[in-house]
Amino acid sequence: MVLELQKPRPIWQIMFSTHHTDIGLLYLITSLAFFFMGGVLALAMRLELFYPGAQIITDSMTYNRMFTVHGTTLIFLFILPFASAAGNYFVPIMVRYKDMAYPKLNAIAFWMIPPAAALVWLGFADFTWYAQPPYSIISAPGPAADMWIFGLKILGISSVLGAINFIVTIMKCKHPDLPLSKLPLLAWSFLTSSLIILVAIPTFAAALLMLLTDRLGVSGFFNPAMGGDPIAYSHMFWFTFHPEVYVLVIPAIGFMYDIIPRFSRKPIFSHSSGVFAFVLIAIVSFASWAHHMYATGMSFTEKTVFMVGTLAAVPASAMHIFNFLATMWGGRIKFKTPMLWSVGAIALFFAAGAGGVVNSAMPLDFVTHDSYWVVGHFHLFVMGTIAFATFGFAYYIFPYVTGRMYNEKLGQIHFIISFIGAIMVFFTQHVLGLFGMPRRIYDYPPIPEWIIMNQIATFGAILLAIGAAVWLVNFVYSMGKGKPANMEDPFELGGKYYYPYQQKTPHHD
Amino acid sequence: MRNTIGLLLVLTVLFIIPTLEYAFGQEEPGKYLNRRVEIWNLFFRLMVVAFTIGAVVSGTLVWLCIRFRESNPKAKPTKYEESGAW
Repeated sequence: MVLELQKPRPIWQIMFSTHHTDIGLLYLITSLAFFFMGGVLALAMRLELFYPGAQIITDSMTYNRMFTVHGTTLIFLFILPFASAAGNYFVPIMVRYKDMAYPKLNAIAFWMIPPAAALVWLGFADFTWYAQPPYSIISAPGPAADMWIFGLKILGISSVLGAINFIVTIMKCKHPDLPLSKLPLLAWSFLTSSLIILVAIPTFAAALLMLLTDRLGVSGFFNPAMGGDPIAYSHMFWFTFHPEVYVLVIPAIGFMYDIIPRFSRKPIFSHSSGVFAFVLIAIVSFASWAHHMYATGMSFTEKTVFMVGTLAAVPASAMHIFNFLATMWGGRIKFKTPMLWSVGAIALFFAAGAGGVVNSAMPLDFVTHDSYWVVGHFHLFVMGTIAFATFGFAYYIFPYVTGRMYNEKLGQIHFIISFIGAIMVFFTQHVLGLFGMPRRIYDYPPIPEWIIMNQIATFGAILLAIGAAVWLVNFVYSMGKGKPANMEDPFELGGKYYYPYQQKTPHHD
Repeated sequence: MRNTIGLLLVLTVLFIIPTLEYAFGQEEPGKYLNRRVEIWNLFFRLMVVAFTIGAVVSGTLVWLCIRFRESNPKAKPTKYEESGAW
């Protein structure tokens, strides 16, 4: 068993360890810390938008800096590191190997994150997580913008190193008796998302270099004044970051594939359809990037191709939802906190997906483009689906990591408050978009409908913040003083295949 | 599997054909297309589809949670619980 907090070790032993569970713990702590830091920025922005005019943020530049760092933090420093934490803990166990394939590379991949995060946070750039030229080339103040570029560069390299490690661990280090077809779906989720990272990230790495040289004035790839084309950056950015959305969501679905059968007390309904859906979504993720760019003057044919490419992800997502529902059907479901989060994630995954289908229809995209609809849709995915599944998995692995149980009542309160809060914020943002409110604005005219909807969204954000505070208190208190967990069956389900139970090599001895 | 692929192909084609109409509407001389009306029509039609499917999926999810929760009087152990392997 890995009982880091029951058997305390000097912090440096964990920091300089290359064991997969130690690296997993470092990823876990880092990602949760950045969740709270990014969340504080989100709350400040929502409070600012509570009413027209300046409320708590003094100027629009500061606001722009805040939403840039908020987006960058929660995507690159919370969701991705949390997925890496889960992968580090469980992939070697699932493939029955003693560690990751390259333990030192694993440690290097993690230790690239703190300097990258420092660059992003100390710079506090203002050009959105999209860094759209020509603004990012011509006007974005340095050194913040340059620090952001370097930070993202380092995070990209870290992602690629992590992806290589996962792929090699799964493909080359798995037990000879374990065929790929029998690999748990959580491991499959890491395999497919790592493959997407390997294909997608190099394009953005090139775009970042080009952006940097453009800023230095030695090239003009994206600078119209030098004959460059800002739209080329958009293509390169979205070629990476639409697949990256699936890199975020696929591990979250993998978490749900682990939790839902466990708490339904029956196997997953169809393992092969889950694998098929993961592979399908990995392929079609590269056929949909330009749906972010319908409004850039593309031809009808191009738009049609990308609309169909986007819709091709629908059957794969539907397969996952059907699989979850069919697994629950006929089960004896125990609604402990991880299961509550997973059920909430299914509901919001469907809602976000339905909004995405509407978005992908190109005529409608012109109505919703650059409006709060897009903000609502994206956040319903990343918060309502990915973060919900992530929170559920955090509760699920809590006994494994700490050897103690969290407070179940507080976990349920966290879920209920957050579910209501998420609906209040993100559903309302969809409607705000239909009422014409543009995204990325610091202030807005006193239109009564906009005011009331912004206030509803802000109250929702406050609920989310309260939920997060409950979570923090629960975890911090339970880590030290929680009831010791029964490590063979921490959730009293009666089964014997809780993965940590199979752990045989907790540390390098 | 073949049936599933066939069904998906039919659904895809059915979805694309109505959309192509807008393109030809733009190209044929003399045919005036009120984009605003058409777009909002499409939006409301898709919303009807989304809310209908959403109601079915959400309803199923809620029913599953109520019917198959372990505290439901009708709940009984699954056949996998005896072996403890699932």
